[in-house]
Amino acid sequence: MNAIGMLTNLLFFPAGLFVLVTGLAYEWVDRKLVARFQNRLGPRWFQPLADMVKLLSKEEVIPEGLDVRLFVALPVVALAGALTAALYVPLVGLNPAHSFPGDLIVTLYLLSLLTMCIGLAGANTRDRFSLIGATRTLTQLFSYEAPFLLALLGPAIVVGSWQIREVTAYANQHWLILTQPVGFVIALIGLMGKLELPPFDAPEAETEIVAGALTEYSGRGLALFRLGKGVELVIGLTLVAAFFLGGVANPVAFFIKTLALLLIIAGLQSLFARLRIDQAVGLWWRYGALLALVQLLVLIILRFWGWNGGL
Amino acid sequence: MDRETTISQSLESARILLAPCTQQLLTPEPGRMDISLATADLLPAVAALHLNGWGRLVAVTGLDLGVNEGDLEVLYHFCAGAAIVTLRVRVPKADAAIPTICSLIPAASFYERELGEMFGITVVGTPNPDRLFLPDDWPAGVYPLRKDFVVPEIPG
Amino acid sequence: MQKNDQADKFIIPIGPQHPALKEPGHFEFTVDGEIVTGATIRLGYVHRGIEKATESRTWVQNLYLLERVCGICSHIHATAYCLGVERLAGLSVPPRAQAIRELVVELERIHSHMLWLGVAAHEAGFDTLFMYSWRDRETVMDILEGLTGNRVHYSANILGGVKIDVDAEQTKTILQGVDFLEKRTHHYLDVVTTDSAFVQRTAGIAVMSKAVAEHFGAVGPTARASGVTQDIRIDAPYLAYEDFPVEIVLDTAGDLKARFVVRVQELFQSYQVIRAILDKLPAGELAVTMPRRIKENETISRVEAPRGELFYYLKSNGTDKPERIKIRTPSICNFGTVPALAAGHQLADMPMILAGIDPCFSCNDRMVTIHRPADDSQTWTWEMLRQYGISYYREKER
Repeated sequence: MNAIGMLTNLLFFPAGLFVLVTGLAYEWVDRKLVARFQNRLGPRWFQPLADMVKLLSKEEVIPEGLDVRLFVALPVVALAGALTAALYVPLVGLNPAHSFPGDLIVTLYLLSLLTMCIGLAGANTRDRFSLIGATRTLTQLFSYEAPFLLALLGPAIVVGSWQIREVTAYANQHWLILTQPVGFVIALIGLMGKLELPPFDAPEAETEIVAGALTEYSGRGLALFRLGKGVELVIGLTLVAAFFLGGVANPVAFFIKTLALLLIIAGLQSLFARLRIDQAVGLWWRYGALLALVQLLVLIILRFWGWNGGL
Repeated sequence: MDRETTISQSLESARILLAPCTQQLLTPEPGRMDISLATADLLPAVAALHLNGWGRLVAVTGLDLGVNEGDLEVLYHFCAGAAIVTLRVRVPKADAAIPTICSLIPAASFYERELGEMFGITVVGTPNPDRLFLPDDWPAGVYPLRKDFVVPEIPG
Repeated sequence: MQKNDQADKFIIPIGPQHPALKEPGHFEFTVDGEIVTGATIRLGYVHRGIEKATESRTWVQNLYLLERVCGICSHIHATAYCLGVERLAGLSVPPRAQAIRELVVELERIHSHMLWLGVAAHEAGFDTLFMYSWRDRETVMDILEGLTGNRVHYSANILGGVKIDVDAEQTKTILQGVDFLEKRTHHYLDVVTTDSAFVQRTAGIAVMSKAVAEHFGAVGPTARASGVTQDIRIDAPYLAYEDFPVEIVLDTAGDLKARFVVRVQELFQSYQVIRAILDKLPAGELAVTMPRRIKENETISRVEAPRGELFYYLKSNGTDKPERIKIRTPSICNFGTVPALAAGHQLADMPMILAGIDPCFSCNDRMVTIHRPADDSQTWTWEMLRQYGISYYREKER
């Protein structure tokens, strides 16, 4: 891999510009769908972009009494983490730009980096809403992370590899949702928890704690965090589609499958009232983690008997 | 039993309950009974109604009887169904103080705070005498609902 | 309502500016982790000095001032005031006028309860219900606009009667609208009682027993959800409620869910009354003439606003202006229950507990604004504000 290629990968495709734009586009689709489900008109297609431009051009207010370096660095780290993760997933049905054994685990940790940064950002300020928001963000992180991880490990166990490229190559031939429906559901809902989408939006419940951990962020910092979330949405959808929905072998399949997943997510967002943080944690640990664990054990045992994981 | 009978029975039972404290009894209109009390009798009178389960405290009205009279009046309105009993207590402006009734009816706290800030009536023993409606930087000793308070013209 | 010394505790301030509150109020919740241990209230952020202002306006002017005490229940304020003034002046209002007043009162109740349903759902993070209930609320807003010409301050009342009439075409439109709303209300009742995610947030939360409700003097739907049999429309009928009665809606559970159920059930009562009124609207005059001055007297007027009992005390002094008007709105009675209900619940439940009493801050905060001498003025003219803005940014750029 030469230097120019690496730089292109980082700045334009698949990470960088491409995934940022896709993130904004997917954010628009999500907002539009939820709006239509709620009998509203919803935003126009360029609204997320316009929001971003506006935020980036606005004054960034740095509150008093916090670590300024941390305050400024956290959004950058969060976005960088999400963008780096984009290098390892099969965006638009192409092979991941980079790949090495074990990159699945690295990707999942990079995805969590964003949430960690948001939690830290909240804990860094002295704002009471932020502190409560940070506590909730981290509480939620610890509750959905394990089930989410276990759910995505299912396909990896079946394939016998921790490398995303190998898992997707196998998944392109098999619809793993048929053999691992529990994993699919948990992965999808885990993704909603990760992105703090309703009904798992207790960490940023506006009627209680304003904007949660990010209450004190404005301008550039807030824009970067939001971009990060958009990127994470795309990566998360790609992973779930690639692992469970028969792979994303070509761009058409990629867009159809990820958008179908987005439709489901938007529907779920409109259907439920917000879960309190204790209810969300209860849901994850009581059902999510347990079911994911059971499925994983079943897979391991079946594989031990020589089953290849397909139908 | 029709409504009129119920009302007159309610008022009659209130009259009996309040008889020991009553200074003056008026029936200004059908379904209402006004009873004037001495300040010292307020608590016993409220207790007589409240502890016997006669109706509930609906509102407390402050009245400035005018610059000339120099008195303030506090009206405690109790309602049972359609019957209304008003306990009236007069206090001089110079020494405007009444006992709290929060020990009996905690819901009166808001009304008593309002009396304090709007009329400058000291409610002795009220659990929280803080401002409720007026701003924190409102000048002390200015009581907007007194008649001598004139709303200033807004400049511009 | 006790004064709290909370120096070393973690306090979450809600308001005066906060997304949960559509109007300004200030609540301080002391929390231990996610559990609320105490609460205090500070009101007065939209204090406009209405009670004082009434004393310098004529009886007629006050009608329009008092209608602006509250934007949601404007008609009921005007009605309570009219009923009191008419009693002071010894007027007997024609039955047709009273029936039309009642019609508007009930339409207003529908709009208020549906607004509340949406707001409460939003507090629970259930925006879909919020959007749908507000969409359907437009039906009743359109009816009110068609009837009175206004969406918010209907100005249907005049002293001595009403200034609007209901013709056959309007009757048809109203009945159609009511039929549609009734169908939707059945759906909403279904949602608030069976949607498991939503019921999880309401059932068993903020339980207020009948004794507690009476202790704190709760009124209206908040009290009726705790089993307190209290409804001024039934206890002391006014307007035409003798001829077109409603039935009391009670629930004994006393939790948030009960408050939802009671308010939604009350909508059905309103639909039924509206149909009855339109069916048998008395014929006759719409208004009688009102004298300009009223001899010295005093009276009390009580009505059932959407949020509960509304109390007016009116005192006349022989001139064309009132001596004193005291307004006791339902929200102030219900506010007292919030600190009592809050303790022991999760912070996440607070917005819903607050919304559960259907608070109306405008209603409470009525009285006076003051400004100090010119050198330290609190009231700024538009020009002063503009100049300040210009100089602020000039200063900043330097």
